[in-house]
Amino acid sequence: MNTRTTFGVLLLGAGLLLAGRSVIAHHAFGAEFDPNAPIRLQGKVVRLEWVNPHTWIHIETIKDGKPEIWMIEGGTPNTLLRRGVTRETVKVGTEIIVDGYQTKDHSLKRANGRDVTFTDGRKLFMGSSGTGAPKDGRDPTEAPKKPGGR
Amino acid sequence: MKFTMPSAFRVLAGLAVAAGLASPAIVTLHAQAPSVAKPWTMPRTPDGKPDLQGTWSNATITPLERAQGVTNLVLSADEAARLEKATADRVERLNQDSDPNRPAPPQGGDGSTGAAGNVGGYNNFWLDPGERVAVVDGQFRSSLIIDPPDGRVPPTTPEARARAQARMKAMAGRGQYDHPEFRPLAERCLLSFGPTTPLVPNYFYNNNLQIVQTPDHVMILMEMVHDARIVRIGGTHVARHIRPWMGDSIGHWEGDTLVVETTNFPLQQPFRGAAENLKVTERFRRVDAGTINYRFTVEDPTTFSRPFTGEIPFRATDELIYEYACHEGNYAMSNVLSGARNEEKRLGTKK
Repeated sequence: MNTRTTFGVLLLGAGLLLAGRSVIAHHAFGAEFDPNAPIRLQGKVVRLEWVNPHTWIHIETIKDGKPEIWMIEGGTPNTLLRRGVTRETVKVGTEIIVDGYQTKDHSLKRANGRDVTFTDGRKLFMGSSGTGAPKDGRDPTEAPKKPGGR
Repeated sequence: MKFTMPSAFRVLAGLAVAAGLASPAIVTLHAQAPSVAKPWTMPRTPDGKPDLQGTWSNATITPLERAQGVTNLVLSADEAARLEKATADRVERLNQDSDPNRPAPPQGGDGSTGAAGNVGGYNNFWLDPGERVAVVDGQFRSSLIIDPPDGRVPPTTPEARARAQARMKAMAGRGQYDHPEFRPLAERCLLSFGPTTPLVPNYFYNNNLQIVQTPDHVMILMEMVHDARIVRIGGTHVARHIRPWMGDSIGHWEGDTLVVETTNFPLQQPFRGAAENLKVTERFRRVDAGTINYRFTVEDPTTFSRPFTGEIPFRATDELIYEYACHEGNYAMSNVLSGARNEEKRLGTKK
């Protein structure tokens, strides 16, 4: 196998790995949310539950002139805390757009935050690409790490 | 993370594009690394043992099992750089703005698979699966598994397959949503969804651990679900019928290597189908100021056709490990159960 073919296979493997990540998580999303109940919500943040295993963002929407409170499921807050994002980062009153699916229990106003953005379409937070922010000491510009937590 | 089918295709396409566009600058950077060669002496605890204490990360983009068709365990620096760039590019792509006028997602589901369950999971920014190819002894690795030579978990035995079938038969007729205890241990906040032993990354988030040593115990705290493994130094395993959540770990020192043997795993959360007769032997060897080389061997002749061994670099991190209090905020568990009841009513399938 030549180098190019080998690398192609490696990339395919990496792609499968990335797709395969969906195999694990704290819970199976399909068990909690209803694929037959898609929703698009726009409203103001009224509360953030910055908790594990999932963050919940509470927003107030208006339906038929009446306010409704929806809870939107996100991921673990720990990864964002390490990037300096806290519960205070998103201010109460911030208007956001959410698309996702309602819980299978339709008596609850809860949904997964399939895509959570500001009203101009920007993502609510940014993922870390690692470019310029390595943690493993292999970037020569990075000071050598010693284990913390001592 | 949006696990839509189209995005899965975009991942593959994006990786392929990235392969052709790998930045020469990045390749050069990695050609210079890893070359930290400062004089270093093993830090030691007051009783003279290697000091493994502190916080470490086992996050990596190197998969546990090598991709089918890849023969080499060791990648070139160029191949590693391209894989890392493809990973970074994918994150950047998923950071891009969405259409503010987007409609609700498709009726009937968005086609996402796996845990995303046809409803698309959540945004990628919640995840932190690792950014780098694993480097062990200066080698960029294509898989964490180093033996068997194909880098893959060995085939399961006929006995293991028969056991899995018997388990499915025993579960037949019981709905998976009929009782809280029928739900997975991770969903119940009892253990992480990744294995506690061996310390394989979950490729999702919070791949951090803290080691604390005393002369007679070593504690390994995993961030996920705040699981603390307590390793006794010396002694023998507890009776076979005693099955702690994370198994029973006893350790000893072989020179400067901490060797930990774990058996007595609980049957409720098997590792690749192995639990009852599973034995995992781990070797922790600190190789420089910032690295523990972690090697694990998995044995269970009733499940695997042969043992297998892997290696993972634990990199020192000065990041904080945050509490992962899971049960207290676990809306998901009640949502899953009440969802099943509500759906039964709506669909007229109430038992």
